[in-house]
Amino acid sequence: MKEVLPSTSTEVESEDVSEYEPEPVEKIEKPLNMAPGAVKLRSLLNKTFRIEMTDGRILIGVFLCTDRDANIILGSCSEYLPAESKAKTLNEEPRMLGLVMVPGKHIVSVHTDANDYDPGMYIPLSKNINSDDVT
Amino acid sequence: MESEVSNPTVSWRIPNNWADITETFHEAVKDLKLGELLHDDLFGLFEAMSAIEMMDPKMDAGMLCNRGVRKIVSFDQAVQDCILKLDAFSDSEIIGIIDSTLACLVSWLEGHSLAQTVFINLYLHRPYMIEDRTLKAFCLSVYKLLEIIKDLVHKAMVYEEEDFQPMQYGYQLNPDISEQRMIGMLREVEEDLHKKLRGNHNEETQGVYGRIRFIRVFLQVLIIFRKEDQQPCIADCQRLLNTSIDMLYIVQDTVHLGVRNEDVDNEHIVGFEPSINQRLLPPTFPRYTKIRCRAEAVLYFMEMVERFKIVCRIQSISSLHQALDFFIEFSKCSPCILSRSALQLLYPGTNPVNLKDILKDAVKTFICPPALLSKTLLANAQAKHYVDTFLSHCSRPFQNFLQLCGHNRARQRDKLAHLLEEFTTLQDEAERVDAFLHNLSVSSPLSRPHIACFGTWVLYHTLRIMIMYLLAGFELELYSVHEFYYIYWYLYEFLYGWLISALSRADSFLVENEILNELQKNKGTSKKKPKYKKKPRPYNRDIIYLQALQNMCGGYYKALMGFRLEGKLSMPHPRFDSEQVRYEHRFAPFQNLLTPPPVVYSEFRDMTSFQRFQQQPVDSVFLYIAGCKHFHQARQLFESVPMDHEVAELLKICKTNFIVLKLLAGGHKKDSTKPPEFDFTSHKYFAMIKLN
Repeated sequence: MKEVLPSTSTEVESEDVSEYEPEPVEKIEKPLNMAPGAVKLRSLLNKTFRIEMTDGRILIGVFLCTDRDANIILGSCSEYLPAESKAKTLNEEPRMLGLVMVPGKHIVSVHTDANDYDPGMYIPLSKNINSDDVT
Repeated sequence: MESEVSNPTVSWRIPNNWADITETFHEAVKDLKLGELLHDDLFGLFEAMSAIEMMDPKMDAGMLCNRGVRKIVSFDQAVQDCILKLDAFSDSEIIGIIDSTLACLVSWLEGHSLAQTVFINLYLHRPYMIEDRTLKAFCLSVYKLLEIIKDLVHKAMVYEEEDFQPMQYGYQLNPDISEQRMIGMLREVEEDLHKKLRGNHNEETQGVYGRIRFIRVFLQVLIIFRKEDQQPCIADCQRLLNTSIDMLYIVQDTVHLGVRNEDVDNEHIVGFEPSINQRLLPPTFPRYTKIRCRAEAVLYFMEMVERFKIVCRIQSISSLHQALDFFIEFSKCSPCILSRSALQLLYPGTNPVNLKDILKDAVKTFICPPALLSKTLLANAQAKHYVDTFLSHCSRPFQNFLQLCGHNRARQRDKLAHLLEEFTTLQDEAERVDAFLHNLSVSSPLSRPHIACFGTWVLYHTLRIMIMYLLAGFELELYSVHEFYYIYWYLYEFLYGWLISALSRADSFLVENEILNELQKNKGTSKKKPKYKKKPRPYNRDIIYLQALQNMCGGYYKALMGFRLEGKLSMPHPRFDSEQVRYEHRFAPFQNLLTPPPVVYSEFRDMTSFQRFQQQPVDSVFLYIAGCKHFHQARQLFESVPMDHEVAELLKICKTNFIVLKLLAGGHKKDSTKPPEFDFTSHKYFAMIKLN
């Protein structure tokens, strides 16, 4: 049946999709950044971090991502308000936040679980050391 | 004694031994390139997108600027610091606390979370520690109110996320009190206050008395609504509701006596801490809940109690069609979630157990199908079985229809479209059952033909749903003015016409059935001619009303075509527009129906093209005059039905539109291209046409 359409409106066509097949996506492996800093950071991925922010709040979560400006993404993150006293003990009742991004410029300090952290593993020697210096 | 919010359990233990890696970290990131992200395989930019950004005031609810200047003090801390007292409250203070809490309750019922409304009242955190009897009883009763309201709303299942937030955030009464004990406690306090008043009548004590009595009576009403096993006693309800209104008048008169906070920056009195529960809220952007003012809250309760009184009337309605009309009418005033839920629970038809019998009665009353009346057909086991099965299949669609009418207005339109799918299946089955029964009845001489009995009944409802769907588009302001003409056309040319003929057919069936009954009654008597009294046909009023509406739609359609011809309608730019797409979108839910058959776009163009009017030239004047005739006809029809508020409004609209079209037909403002205005303030579906 011939359809009478207003003169300038476009006809709605159904696309013929029968011949289109998606090409298999090739995973292009990007070469890993092997600089010592990057290697160090990758060893810290998925470890528990404790970050102190410029306004005194403490965030504890799993380290998931970072970038050059030290913006850090934490997963399963909880927020603790600064404790009243000087003691290291945190205020109870953390606020559950989930996935959080802390801008690098608001980070005062970064701590990680000492039981899980081995500081010396991947830092290459920065200068030549005489065997006599190693005691 | 009772627990307050329990600490959320942490899935892993927080390490207590931290190594400082600040320097290491900052050195390490320097090895990353600009824009490079360091993460493992399971994480990426896509996931990173949904992270909350800290120290951004728009996203970080915990930031200092969002936390408010006040120091947030908990109940325990406040008692310790002697900010909060537990006894020796003046009546004025009690009134203030109760009114503020009721205002919070109203804010909750308007869709906000309990954490930011009712539970900002610190007294509710430890109700058992309060020593003042009145305040303690009130606080405990608030918990019971919350519990019953949540139960009612949950059972009725007509709420959406914008209507109601049931989450309680761990606040529970421990130990719990029974409903009976609570009512008893409130009665005791009431009696004490009553004795005090007799000795020394003053306004403040009267105010407290009125409030406690209102809470007690209101609680009792809700308990009655909630009763599942037996039919709630409506006489009791009415009595309690009347007492509620009386008490609310006392509350209203004494609102000004409640203690207030004179501070401009802080609207809350001692004991109310808006940010106390902030840490319990889900991590989103910062949300502030504005609590209603006390006087408005009282008004809200008064209106709610009036709505409850209306809702109770459903108890006296036994027919399904009347119940549906009641539900639809009630929904039009956009009632609150609690009254909508109460209506669902009070009507027996929303319970599937009762619905099948109600449906059977409904069909019988509507069209007197022989299958439900004639002895021969009733005796036929297979016929009975088919009819039975058909009626059970009708249960769910009608249950959904009743529930749909209980949802908020904005949500109904979508649900109507889905409901049409269910009715399509019903139509199919109805047709087959009718055909089978017709074959049976043809063989028996006495029974009436069974042509399309069940079919007509299902069609009647289907058409009403279709009309509701299209008209809802006007109420929700979904249509642009340049779309009105095909909406009104569909209603005028098809939907109302079909509905009228369905009703007429039902009408004839009923009349036939009566004649047959009369004949059978007079068989034994000596009367030669059965005196058939001229009775008004059963659906007379409905048919006339629908014809009037049909004419109104016809009037709008012709008027709009006239506007188009005179260039008075601003149409979308043709480059960006396809009328066919718009048309098909608007009528999409109708596409799968058998009856009425959907009208495709090409048919629509055919039927509305001017070539159809062979005899006369079609110009705007012709169309205006045609529109005039329609509105005139509508007016005459409305004048012949019993008057009510809506008919009066529609009459006014018809008269106005008649005059406007008459003026236009006479050439008034012929050259003006200013678009006419459609004013929906008097009626949501039918506008008054105004010329500028």
